[in-house]
Amino acid sequence: MSGDVLWLIIALPAAGSLLCLALPSSRAVLAATAAGVPAIAAASGVVVWRVFAHGPLMTTGRWLLLDALSAYHLAVMMLVFALSSIFARVFFGAEAAPLSRRRARRFGALWYGALSAMALVVLSNNLAIMWVGVEATTLLTAFLICLQVSPASLEATWKYLIVCSVGVAFAFMGTLLVASAAASAGLEPAQFLNWTYVHGIASQLDPKVIKLAFIFLLVGYGTKAGLAPLHSWLPDAHSQAPAPVSALFSGFLLNTALYCLMRFLPIVETATGGDGWGRGLLIFFGIFSILLAAAFILAQHDLKRLLAYHSVEHLGIIAVGLGLGPLGSFAALFHTLNHSVCKALGFFSAGRIGQIYGTHDMRRITGALKAHALWGAGLFGGFLALIGLAPFAIFLSEFLIIKAAAETRAYGTLVLFLLGAGIVFVGALRHAIDMAWGTPPAAPAPRRASLIEGLIVVAPLALLVILGLWMPQPFQDMLSSAARILAGAAQ
Amino acid sequence: MHGVTDDIMAAMLLLNLAVLGTSRLTFCITLVAAQGALVGLLPLVSSSGVTLRTLILAGVAITLKGIVFPRLLSSAMRGADVRREVEPYVGWGFSLLLGLALLGISFWLGAKLPLPPAAPESAFVVPGAICTILIGLLVIVSRKKAVTQVVGYLVLENGIAAFGLAVVPDVPLLVELGLLLDVFVAVFVMAIIIYHISREFDHIDADRLSALKG
Repeated sequence: MSGDVLWLIIALPAAGSLLCLALPSSRAVLAATAAGVPAIAAASGVVVWRVFAHGPLMTTGRWLLLDALSAYHLAVMMLVFALSSIFARVFFGAEAAPLSRRRARRFGALWYGALSAMALVVLSNNLAIMWVGVEATTLLTAFLICLQVSPASLEATWKYLIVCSVGVAFAFMGTLLVASAAASAGLEPAQFLNWTYVHGIASQLDPKVIKLAFIFLLVGYGTKAGLAPLHSWLPDAHSQAPAPVSALFSGFLLNTALYCLMRFLPIVETATGGDGWGRGLLIFFGIFSILLAAAFILAQHDLKRLLAYHSVEHLGIIAVGLGLGPLGSFAALFHTLNHSVCKALGFFSAGRIGQIYGTHDMRRITGALKAHALWGAGLFGGFLALIGLAPFAIFLSEFLIIKAAAETRAYGTLVLFLLGAGIVFVGALRHAIDMAWGTPPAAPAPRRASLIEGLIVVAPLALLVILGLWMPQPFQDMLSSAARILAGAAQ
Repeated sequence: MHGVTDDIMAAMLLLNLAVLGTSRLTFCITLVAAQGALVGLLPLVSSSGVTLRTLILAGVAITLKGIVFPRLLSSAMRGADVRREVEPYVGWGFSLLLGLALLGISFWLGAKLPLPPAAPESAFVVPGAICTILIGLLVIVSRKKAVTQVVGYLVLENGIAAFGLAVVPDVPLLVELGLLLDVFVAVFVMAIIIYHISREFDHIDADRLSALKG
């Protein structure tokens, strides 16, 4: 397999995007996304497998690179995209007002466009092109939030656009500073934005410039990743977007930005002499996110905003993991998959439950298990997995992070992490029990769940239980080789 | 060549203050367009000189920032039937005062920042760029209208373009074009959202976009 196949992963979704603009009906568009995206995901899966079996792929003068770290993220991204695309067909099919042809075309084109842009972020070996990709995901997904135009959705879209565009601009300044440090360390113009080259001379970079650069990068990409206190756009965008879009935002859009930070982290660590300066900053932002999210989760009444604050919490957990050295990085990567799958299921269920009850106000959602057994169970199961109950996989990845904190003697981090996770556990469990049991309002009996609906509830839960009980050796190797890159290895 | 670069940076700084002191929205858009065109000129007078690469770059940047963006914004304004005033949270006098303070801070920061020794084209570029970035942020947070926030975003982008030129003079052309494409799409998307907001809300005051809380 030659490296040129990487171009296909970017080009196929772009072609899908154009195709959607030409399709005759909204049914056709939804079918094209529900079938096309999983097909692209399956094909990418083969490429990912190839990377783990035979080593990284590169093409076009090292502009594109798929190594263990990016391959792992590509796999998570494709999984979330495939699930969400299938769910989108279910969700929009069950809407009271069906999508008009124009809206459906817009949805399909932007959905595929976002897939292409996120693939560009993950595959790009050029740090500036990676940034271009992140900004492109902001712009392409903006109209997905206000697919159904309403005052609230426009407000959310505007905040998202301004906050993320301005925030991410800082990340670009950080990228420029890294490039300037690399240029003064002797790299040519064709090389100083290229991750492979910059990584190769990381020990010769000026630590002062790199520290300044990392602060800009952290603020910039941290805004897009929703790390507190830079998360102000996140609850609005997640709550106003249609459920499949929220699932995508929470399931991978945030991770795209965090992935960019992961690319810079080993460079920063090496350049600053491995004293854990950069990792310390990540822990600080992570713990702050966990505690802030915990407070908002306790007081929340809106189901989708509740899930949005869970995203702030879990991205914070991943950041803490990244800050805790090799075992922590391993756990953080594992947590990335667990959170993305679990949160996608959470938003799927919230979307369908919202359709059944006609509201996302949790005070009016009672007896969800009786009102709709499948989606009620999806919601309750999703919450149990999300708060880290054993045997779901999130319990395991959080446990590994605690273990990493204990091993590195980061006791302060350990205590604050447990405090935050404990508050979230109690707060979210109370919300989940209140929604799942009780008497459902007298509503018309909902239509029976289809086989597809059953699958997109059962498959994520099954995956989370299996990974929580047993980690297959190939998967463990995959995580280890990705974590090695975070620890500073070249591939 | 330092003379010309210095002149351009000085003009940019004056335009920054002019944006802060202007009450007319249309004039504000013209000012930021002029500033964008000036930033577009910078690569031509930089140390790389006039080459095919800098010519393409300057051509695309000046066309977008000097011609396309102001047109997009004015048509969004017309479509949205906006009142002509800028409507700041803080008065113009105080805005200007803040602007001058930011200018001072920028020169102090420009001297303090641990930038690589070889970097600056002229001693003026880095502080000028930082000042432009800060004033862009000030415009975004201190003005009520959505259109003015886009103006602030453009000022910020101008500052970042100048900053980029100062710290890394020869970024590959493909990357530069990618960046400009992003800014173009951003302005385009913002203009469309402004149009929608004006239809839904009968106004485009971003300060009233505040129903979502908690």
